[in-house]
Amino acid sequence: MTDTTTLKLQAENIHKSYGSHQVLKGVTLNARAGDVISLIGSSGSGKSTLLRCINLLEKPQQGRIIVAGEELQLKAGRTGELDAVQPKQLQRLRTKLAMVFQHFNLWAHKTVLQNIIEAPIHVLGLPKDEAIARARKYLQLVGLEGREDVYPNHMSGGQQQRVAIARALAVEPEVMLFDEPTSALDPELVGEVLRVMQVLAQEGRTMVVVTHEIGFAREVSNHVVFLHQGLIEEQGDPKQVLIHPQSERLAKFLSGSLK
Amino acid sequence: MSSYYYSILQGALLTVAVSLASLFVSTILGLLGATAKLSGRRPLVWLATLYTTVVRGIPELVLMLLVFYGAAIGINNLFEAMGSDYVLDLNPFIAGVATLGFIYGAYMTETFRGAILSIPKGQMEAAWAFGMGPVRTFLRITLPQMVRYALPGYTNNWLVLIKATALVSLISLHDMTYMAKQASAATREPFIFLMFAAALYLVFTSISLNVLKRINARYSLGTEKVQL
Amino acid sequence: MSWEIVFETEQLLAYWHGLLTTLSLLLSSLGIGAVLAVACALALTNGPWIVQKLVGSFTYFVRGTPLLIQVYLIYYGLAQLEWIQSRWDDVWPWTHFKEPFFCALLAFALNTGGYTAEMLAGAIRETDPGEVEAARAMGMGRWQIMARIVLPSAIRRTLPPYSNEVVMMLHSTSLASTVPALTDVTAVASQIYSDYYLPFEAYLAAAAIYLCVTFTLIGFFRLLEKRYLAYLAPRRN
Repeated sequence: MTDTTTLKLQAENIHKSYGSHQVLKGVTLNARAGDVISLIGSSGSGKSTLLRCINLLEKPQQGRIIVAGEELQLKAGRTGELDAVQPKQLQRLRTKLAMVFQHFNLWAHKTVLQNIIEAPIHVLGLPKDEAIARARKYLQLVGLEGREDVYPNHMSGGQQQRVAIARALAVEPEVMLFDEPTSALDPELVGEVLRVMQVLAQEGRTMVVVTHEIGFAREVSNHVVFLHQGLIEEQGDPKQVLIHPQSERLAKFLSGSLK
Repeated sequence: MSSYYYSILQGALLTVAVSLASLFVSTILGLLGATAKLSGRRPLVWLATLYTTVVRGIPELVLMLLVFYGAAIGINNLFEAMGSDYVLDLNPFIAGVATLGFIYGAYMTETFRGAILSIPKGQMEAAWAFGMGPVRTFLRITLPQMVRYALPGYTNNWLVLIKATALVSLISLHDMTYMAKQASAATREPFIFLMFAAALYLVFTSISLNVLKRINARYSLGTEKVQL
Repeated sequence: MSWEIVFETEQLLAYWHGLLTTLSLLLSSLGIGAVLAVACALALTNGPWIVQKLVGSFTYFVRGTPLLIQVYLIYYGLAQLEWIQSRWDDVWPWTHFKEPFFCALLAFALNTGGYTAEMLAGAIRETDPGEVEAARAMGMGRWQIMARIVLPSAIRRTLPPYSNEVVMMLHSTSLASTVPALTDVTAVASQIYSDYYLPFEAYLAAAAIYLCVTFTLIGFFRLLEKRYLAYLAPRRN
């Protein structure tokens, strides 16, 4: 993991506390091109917080964030949290780190198509027809072509999440961040979203996925990171780590999950 | 006799003008107040809270009389103190609209603030995660969604505002109520003219409710209707 | 600005009497209005069709027209009616229509009655049907259910918007100043303005008085809500 020329993402030594409660105690996460990294751990282990620190939706107290070789300039504010020195740089880097949320967060007042073309047009500055062409391409990839004029509330959870994935794809990011993408879905809808994510992984996209789906972690990702109480307890090749865990806590965690 | 009805109808035009102008002023003040209260910056929050608390604690009539009689004299005293001979004659229309706009701006602030707080935070988070800055997020995501949540309160404020304009008759603005009172005094038949004015207010209310029903339908596209 | 005049004993006394008038108008109209509201709310939710329509028209009129017009209608308008004129010298209760206080009180009471009736009726309609079913399953009759289950619950749930209505009513009493010979706080301020040509000070003092009473009322209602709506508050532990 030290070949810096193909490193798409480096999150170094991230510390995050809420008041006196320390959630992340110094975590480093690096992703090369084509890596599919699964972040697993029990609730409170800090995995979602780590993901949200990467695109600064949460502000860490300490750490460095480097996206595709460019370091995000950070400075400590009055409350001790790091914030971006130049908001414009943050906005630019965020378009390289598209996020898919647990609760989809599709913009309710916009149609599927409008959701997908919003960032390409208004943040990347793409002309409208180019954005629409991109949108249609990715809608087809996630299996929802023809549904572009539907409102999110008229679709199932699985369909909404697939639209959210298409929205993230449309900005053509360097790294895709997934925050428990299937946790809010009914069990029978989980499969359709995991299948799309598998296609993306096979295409060679760089993905960081916080998930409870151990099966996905084992079969699709090429690196798994197990977080426990704010520190990396164990990480490595999923075929090794998940089948023959070396740490006792990981073994306990895995025996508690159904897959 | 019929000329009195006609004069009341003319007064109705003024009522509508005062209502719409005050609505405009109060909407602007409401947006400013709501963003100030939600900004998190202490002096802004404090100022906005002072505004809404004080304005909603004083009767509209008192505020209107204060502005109409008091402000004119206050401003003229100021001019005098500065050595100027200028005398400001406050136009009652301006005084009425300024007062009503100022008062209902406070109510609009609370309406807009509640509406913005009702928007699920995830909507804004998604905008930030995709690189949208604060202004763009506010204009393209927050504001459109706020409209839907704000509509019931906004409608209510508008309906109250229309009726409150009757107070401008007390600062001699020739609105519906003023003309109805004039007609009553002249003919010694107050009942019929007051009922005529009352009927006109009811008509305005009905029209407003109809228009706002359509706007509500337009902005509710893409949302779930509550099943009763 | 000359505040000394406003703070003279004579003026302070006038404001005090004005405050008493305001408060008596407020409390009387709220009292009468509340009784009227309960009756109307019951009529709106339980009465026969014709009664519902009649009461509905009443609340529609009261909520759709300015209070000022309602005051004028009662004070000037009713006085015009031949039927009332012929009776108001000897027949009680029509004698009261000559008194300005009574006319203002009637207008305010009808106004708050109409608004509160709709609030209460709405709360009654929103009663959890499950609660009514349980009562019926225990053998309670229709009016018993209304009196012991629905109405107490509805009144409590109306408390938050009613506190708003009470504050509105306080502010509405300032319209009593448009009726000749009624000296509420606003009328006192207008009097001081015309006597001493000090509108700014006079109305500012009036505003301060209303502000204080408003805060007192809001504080009072917060206490009430704490006591009577505790069962709806979010969990503390």
